[in-house]
Parts: sequence; structure tokens; C-alpha cells
Amino acid sequence: MITLTPERVSPTTNERVSALRVRILRDPSFGILALLVVVCGVMAFTEPTFATAGNLTNIINAMMTVSFLAIGMTVVLIAGGLDLSVGSVMALSAGVVASCLNNGMPLAVAFVAALGVGAGIGLVNGLLITKLGIPDFIATLAMLGLAGGFLLYWTAGVPILGYMTDAYYYIGGLRQIAGPVTVPMLLVLAVGVAVSILLRRTTYGVKFYAVGSSPTGAKNAGIRVDRIKIAAYVISGLMAAIAGIHIAGRTTTVPPLIGNGYEISAIAAAVIGGASLFGGKGRVIGALVGALTLTLTRNIINLTGVESSWQAVVTGLVLILAVLANQAWSGIARSIGASRS
Amino acid sequence: MPNFDGVSRRRMLRTAGLLAGAGVGGSLIAACSPNGEATKSAGGGSASSESFDDAIKKIVNGKEIKVGFTPPVLSENFTQIEHAAWRRMNEYEQRFGCKWVWERQAPVGDFNAVQGTLGIVQSWVSRKFDAIAVCTGANFATVQSLYRDATSKGVKIYQFNQPAELYPEDQLQTVTNVGYDNRWQSGYLAGKYIAEKLKGKGNILQIWGPSGSDWTRGRKIGFDRALAENPGIKVVGQADGGYVRDKGFAAAQDLLTKNRDVNAIYGENEEMALGASQAIDTAGLKHWDGTGGVLTIGADGLVSGYKQIKAGKLTATVDIGGVDQGQNLIEAIFLTAVLGQSVTQIINNPTQVVDKTNVDWHQSYTEWALAAPKKYGA
Amino acid sequence: MKNFRSGAARFLGIEGVPILLAFTAVAIGFALAVPSFADGDSVKYYLNEEVPIFIITAGLALVIIAGGIDLSVGAVLGLSAGTSLWASMHGFNPLVSVLVGVGTGLVFGLINGLVIVKFRLSDFIVTLGTLNVAAGLLVVLTDHVQLVGTRDETFLGLASSSVGGLTSAMVLTVLVIVALHLVLVKTGIGRRIRASGMGSAPALVAGLDVGRLKIYAYLVSGGLAGFGGVLLAARLNSVQAGMAGGYELIAVAAAVLGGVSLAGGRGGIWQAALGALLLVTLKQGFRLMGVDPLIFSIITGVCILVGVIVDRGARRFALTLRTPQPVQAPAGELQPATSKGR
Repeated sequence: MITLTPERVSPTTNERVSALRVRILRDPSFGILALLVVVCGVMAFTEPTFATAGNLTNIINAMMTVSFLAIGMTVVLIAGGLDLSVGSVMALSAGVVASCLNNGMPLAVAFVAALGVGAGIGLVNGLLITKLGIPDFIATLAMLGLAGGFLLYWTAGVPILGYMTDAYYYIGGLRQIAGPVTVPMLLVLAVGVAVSILLRRTTYGVKFYAVGSSPTGAKNAGIRVDRIKIAAYVISGLMAAIAGIHIAGRTTTVPPLIGNGYEISAIAAAVIGGASLFGGKGRVIGALVGALTLTLTRNIINLTGVESSWQAVVTGLVLILAVLANQAWSGIARSIGASRS
Repeated sequence: MPNFDGVSRRRMLRTAGLLAGAGVGGSLIAACSPNGEATKSAGGGSASSESFDDAIKKIVNGKEIKVGFTPPVLSENFTQIEHAAWRRMNEYEQRFGCKWVWERQAPVGDFNAVQGTLGIVQSWVSRKFDAIAVCTGANFATVQSLYRDATSKGVKIYQFNQPAELYPEDQLQTVTNVGYDNRWQSGYLAGKYIAEKLKGKGNILQIWGPSGSDWTRGRKIGFDRALAENPGIKVVGQADGGYVRDKGFAAAQDLLTKNRDVNAIYGENEEMALGASQAIDTAGLKHWDGTGGVLTIGADGLVSGYKQIKAGKLTATVDIGGVDQGQNLIEAIFLTAVLGQSVTQIINNPTQVVDKTNVDWHQSYTEWALAAPKKYGA
Repeated sequence: MKNFRSGAARFLGIEGVPILLAFTAVAIGFALAVPSFADGDSVKYYLNEEVPIFIITAGLALVIIAGGIDLSVGAVLGLSAGTSLWASMHGFNPLVSVLVGVGTGLVFGLINGLVIVKFRLSDFIVTLGTLNVAAGLLVVLTDHVQLVGTRDETFLGLASSSVGGLTSAMVLTVLVIVALHLVLVKTGIGRRIRASGMGSAPALVAGLDVGRLKIYAYLVSGGLAGFGGVLLAARLNSVQAGMAGGYELIAVAAAVLGGVSLAGGRGGIWQAALGALLLVTLKQGFRLMGVDPLIFSIITGVCILVGVIVDRGARRFALTLRTPQPVQAPAGELQPATSKGR
């Protein structure tokens, strides 16, 4: 999954950094954004309930879970990895939070425990991949089975109930704090801005792009590739844990299969948002656009009354179409850039 | 009705009917106290006697009965059924001295992981289990040939919670099917309940399970019948909720966006109905209060659902008789595999719409089953 | 001693030997632990049941060796099972029904290959998209028609006829694996496919049309998924939505366990099939031991990890035994078809 592109230029780190900045700015997630604007415009005219405040807040609240996962996935993809375990990690973290609360622990302790589980699994993923050289696909696939199997075994298939408190209704986004604003919205914003700053405004963040676009090049430039990769998986694990904390509040129970298929949504959202499985590309804002695309697809299917059996087909087509749109955008952006210079 | 008295009477009423032709059946049941302990003279004044128990004991002769139990997925519903089965096993163990070997294996994954079921059953056949109890999303035709093969090797196959009513009875290769009729005992009941509460007029939403599942098909047939009988009830939207809460939630939210003028939401299972209930909250709509608001109804009969009914968040659910299914499954296995009797091919259990008026005894009954005194298997 | 060392090195260095040893150990272990494991009928049943896994693993291995990945194989298998059974139920003759099934797979393989190569899109995402499309089309199909019960005995006989004690499905599977193996190692096109998977730069140097070779690999993978679907439909005589979902992950795990490198270029068909054999044998063994499938999924996860670690370790060990002089990194050079790996 990782292509080794031969390192040609840039002996100094500074040059490398500025070159990367330019590449990041040309990120292609605007392609899908343009597509979304068109689709939403059409929907607004044909379906009167679509462009209502109620529907839009529903969509935003519904995209929160995938947004957290997609932000984490984007970081991993940028660093040239892949994390299939996030669905299970999210479910396990949700289970940890719920059972901590049921055992009378304070909210903060429950959160720390869940975040610890997420970060711990991320660390194990990172170590397996970097120190033992197991392919990312396989290591995180095994972790998907491990974490999911553990939760199923632990709960024997019975959902965890009865942990909801008033505070938790806010965390799940079921209650608004002011107007239509919910806690998860602020949380996604905060996490998104933080990760975005980390990735794009710090030299540490640029190393993720460097490692993803060319591991050997990064190594030659003195970057500790293994550490960056491990950090990426830890971030992804943390994001999955945050998603778990959130979804436990949104669904008000934790059935052990709650995370099924979320890893695929997360990858899809990240890639729709311009992240590349070849590494070195991706942006937080793109991840959010990707999550929005997936949520909109379902919303539009339900609103227009398309037979629900077509949902998977449409989702698949949207995925391919989105990547094509991004590709086309890059082409346009490149030609504009070429004509200017 | 006080909890355990209600439990016991209901059970006796039911099983007397079930085993009318089975002779000893009535007394097998009656001698059991609601706490699952072997008492010689429990309620109803039935005809149990020490000599009866001794006679059965002699036939059982300390025998070991190997049972495999495979639900399509691990869930609260199937946990209830399994615990109810353990209760009955424990009772027979104490009274008749039979030893149970119990193994539960569920295919890992979701409802679609049907290939797993086939492998599990086959492995139990090659290990020469006495009885295999199956509930599966796998195709009817597929499993019948598997069952035929098992039966030819001397392994008895039972189905539980399976929509056997959708297929010709003479093609069933099982000893018996312990379940309920999804059409008239679930889908129809829910539709009729909605129509009655709305006085025959109103708009409803439907959240269905994954397309193509037999449960969905059966319940739809029943619900459609109720709709045909009540032309004033209009379905204004339907969506796929994948049998899980967050998808049911999101689907109900979308449908409510399009149609705020909705009087009732049907969730084909309870998780989706509970998701719909959450969607009502977030949409700022009122829950059903007996005269107005949005009515929600699901189907399963889970403790988590009963709690929501009490809290006023879920209007009603159809208790599909999970506890009775578990208990009667063991009874059917005991009667056929140990005593050599025959039972009818289809054993349908009582189901009922549960709302605030009768939730107490349904919840107590289920919780009684879940508190089984002994766990079997791993 | 030196002789033994070099012998051991040569032995362990042969591709597929570590996985073969692992499989043998596992099989003996299970046979000792559960007597019914070695029972002829039981072995025949579980292998027959897993035929689709073997077939898609073979096709997927080819794609991975060609430097791609095909996540759509499971869903395409399910859809092809649906279309072929549909054809047979509607009175088409068995040959046409088979062609409909295989054709469904080929169409998906062609779409995968063309979209990935022509638009230079990520193979992972494109095949993830077609996975959804194929799985969704099966939902649509089964929503409209109950895919149960063809009466065409010839069609059904395709999977379940007895051939020398084995089922026809098993024999066909072995033929597929052998044929694909021979194509990969004995023919020019097979060697070129492997070379193209080793990385674009050396392949281009060698003047290969990398894109075309990749499309061929996806075509084979799609066609085989279609064929696997036909066999599955013929065995079960019923198809439903969600069929074979998740098989792609088992197949990827199997191929990697068998030593196929996800980076492309390395590994072989029969080794991948051995990987599949190890995975399904683990499943069967645990099942017969009565291990809770929930723990079983944890154990499988651990086994995959341990398997990959051991496989890498064994190869490295073999290398240290064999070569006193430092090894030349083969990344840039064009390896012969029978690459021994690192």
C-alpha cells in the first residue's frame, strides 16, 4: 500500500517544509465539496424539507461519530498507514465508559479509562506495525477482531444499559447547550482545530506528511519514522475512544456490535476528503467533508423515498464518484497553477 | 397480579395446551415452582407425584444430554431465551437427575453471517450431539438439507424463534419449531394496536430490518393485514434501520424531517423502536400520552424496552415470548430426545402487546428467567 | 553441522514451507485434542464448505502479487451466486447459468481494473466502492426475487457430484489453484504480472505495460469470484442478501499468512491457498473443541499476528543461516519468477 517514490531533491528541512505546504494547499477535497454544493442546491429546490434548520442540525449531529473516526483515520493515512481497528476500538471504549459509570465512577475517570484503552490499542497497533514489521492492514485487521471479540465476550452480547446521566445526554448531543449547538459539535470543532494546527502549523505535524509521502526520504532527513507512525496510530486510537464516548451518549445503550462497519465509513470519509492510501495527503477539513458526504447520502435516500435496498449501491457509487471528483479537481487546480506560473 | 403467581399460572395455562396430547406433559410442568425449584405440589393442584418423578428418573438414569444452541447473533433477546432454557434445564436436572452438556455458539458478525451457522451445526453433528437448537438468518432451503443430513445421522434438530410459518410445514426437517407466528402474533398485533390507539386514523412511519430477512417478511405480511383492515392509517414513510439503534435513530430522524405530522412509528424490532423514540425527543415532539403525541411500538420484549415503557419513552412493544420459547425448547427436547415422545411440528408461544398497563408482570417474568440459578456451558 | 544448517536454511527458505509446517502442527494438534477432527466426513465437509474462500484467495493473491488489492471479491462472489441461481431458476441451461455467474464477476473485475488503472485511483477505495455496489445489488435482487430452489440437477451437480471421494467443487477448486499457479510461474504473462507488481519503476524499465497487466489480474480475480459464487449457489441452492460478506478480509489475511506481500511482487498462489487452509482449519478445530466463537475470534486475531511474525522470522532465520555475506537488497532489481523473498 505504500509506494516508495525515489527522493530526488530538497537537502534542507526548510525547503522540504515549504514544498509540502504548497502541496497541502492544493489538496483536492474541494472537488467533492463542489459536488456536494450542487447536490444540495438541487435537493433544496426539489425537496422542501431538506434545507430546513431541523434537517441540517440532524445531519450535523448524525455525522459526529464518523467525523471523529475520520479525523483519526486521516492522520494515519497521512503518515502512510491504515487503521481497520477503529470500529472495534470505538465500541470497546464505549463499553468501558458505560461500565465505569455503572460502577459508580465519576465521569472524568470513565473518560480517562476510555481514552486510555483507545491510546493503548493505538500504541499496540503502532508497535506491531513498526517494530515487528507486520503489514498495517493485517495488524489492524487482527486488532479489529481482538477488540471486537473481547467486547462481545465480556458482555456476552447483552447491551450495557443504565449509565445515562443528565450530563451524558449533553455529551451524546441529545440535548442542546445553546440554540442548535450541541457538545459534540464543539468537540469536533475543538479536536479538528487542534489536529489541524498540529498537522499544518507545527514542524512535528509536517513530519507526518513527510513520513507518509516518502519513508526513506523522511528517514534520510533525520525524522524518526517509527515514532511518527506510532504517534499516528495513538492519535487514531484516541479519536476512536472519543467517538466511543460520544456514541455511548447518542445511542444511550452500548450493544457490543455498535461499531460494526464504522472502520469502513471512517476510511471512506477520509478518502472522500482527499486523503490518499498512498500516504502523505489529507486534511482535517476533508475528513469532515467526507463524513458529511456519507451522512448526506443516507439523508437524501430517506427523504426522497428511494427504496432502502438501493442504499448500499448508492453509497458505493458515491464513494467512487467522490474520488473521481477529487481527481478531476486536482487536475483543474494543476492546470490553473501551471497557467499562472 | 403478583409477579410469581402470575408467572406460574400463565405458564401452566400455556403448557397444558401445548402438551395436551403428550400425556405426562401437564404434570411435568405443574410440579415446578416459579422459582425453578423442584417442589412436589405447586400451584394449580395438578397431578404430580413422587412416583411420577421416580419413574422418569429411572428412564433418564443419570443420562448426559448434549445440546447445542446457536442463535443468529448474540443479543439481549437471545440471552433471555438462553437463560430461560437454563432455568428449565436446572429444574429437570434436580427432579430427574439428567445431566446437561450445553454449548452455545453464535456466528461472529451480524445477522448476515449465516454461513457460520451451517458450519457450527455440522460440527455438532460430527460430534454426535443429542439435540441441536437453531435460529438462523440462513435460507430455508439451505438449512433443510443440512437438517436432513443431521437427522439421518441420529441428531435431532430443533428450531427456535424461526419464522417457520413462511414455508410449507411438510418441508420442515426439524423435530419441532418452538416460536411464534411473526405475521399474526407480531406484525399484525403491532398494526392493530396502533390503529386502535389512533382510533383508526393517522399517519405512521415504519422502520424495517434489513431487506430480505424472514422476520421482516413475516411481520410485514401481518402489518399489511392490519393496514388493510384500517384504511384510515396511512404509511407516510419507511426506511431501513438495520435492526440496530443508531441506524433506527437516524432513519426516524430523516423521516420525521419530511413528515412532522406523524402519529405513530413502528420499529420492526425494539432497538429500532427505541432509536425512533430518541428521534422523537430530539425533534422536540411529544411521546404518546394516551390521547396525543407520537406513539412508538417495537417487538422483542427486552428488559431494556420494558424500562423505557415505564419511563414513558416507548409506548409499547410486542413480547414475542422469549422466556416461554427457551423453556419450551428444553421441554420439547426432553420429551422427544429423552422420553421418546412426539410433539407437533409447530409450537407457537403466546405473544402480547405490552404497554404501561401490563408491563410489570412481563418485566418480572423476564427478569425471573434471567436470574436462572445455574449457568450451563462455558 | 554446517550441512544441517545449510539444509535447514534451504528448507525454511523455500516459500510456503513455514506455513506448511504451521499447518501440519496445527492439524496434528487438533487431531490429538479432538478425535472427531480427523474424521473423513468431517474433513470433507468443512473443506467443501470453504471452497469459496479458497477460490477468492487464489484470485486475490494474484491481484496482490500484481501490486493491487481487491476488496470486492466477497461481495462479487455473493452477487454472482445470486445471478447464476437466478438464471438457473428461470430455466436457462446450466452452461448459461454458469456463464451468467462468471460473467457477473468478470464485469466487476473489468470495472475495477479499468477504473483503477485509467483514472489512477486507489485500488483500496475503488474496490471498496464496488464491494458496496455488488453487495447492494444483491440486496436489490433478493428483495425482488426469492432466490430459492432451482430444479436443474445439472447445475446443482456442479458442486456436489462425487469425484473419486471428493466433491466436484473441491476438485474444481484444486484445478483452479493449480492452473493459476502454473500461469503465474510458467508463463510469460505470469512472470510479467509479478514483475509489474514489484514496483512501477523497475517494471517500466523492463518495458512492461503495467496497467494492462493489472487489469488482467483484476479480471481473473473477478472471474474467479464469479466462479466461486456459482459453486456456492450450486451447493446451497439458495442465495440471500449479505452472502459472503466479510470474505474479502479472510482472503486477505489468508494470502498474507501464506507469505504474499501486500507491497506486491512476492508470494505465490498455492502458498496463499495454504494460508486459507490454515485459517479454515483453525476455525474448524476450535469449533470441534467447542471453543466459544467469541473467544475464537480473539484467538484467530492472535494466530494471524503470530503467523505473520513467525513467517517473517523463519525467513530471516533462513537468510542468516544461508548467507555469510551481506544480502543485497532486492528492492530495485527484477527478481525471477520464483523469488525466494527476504
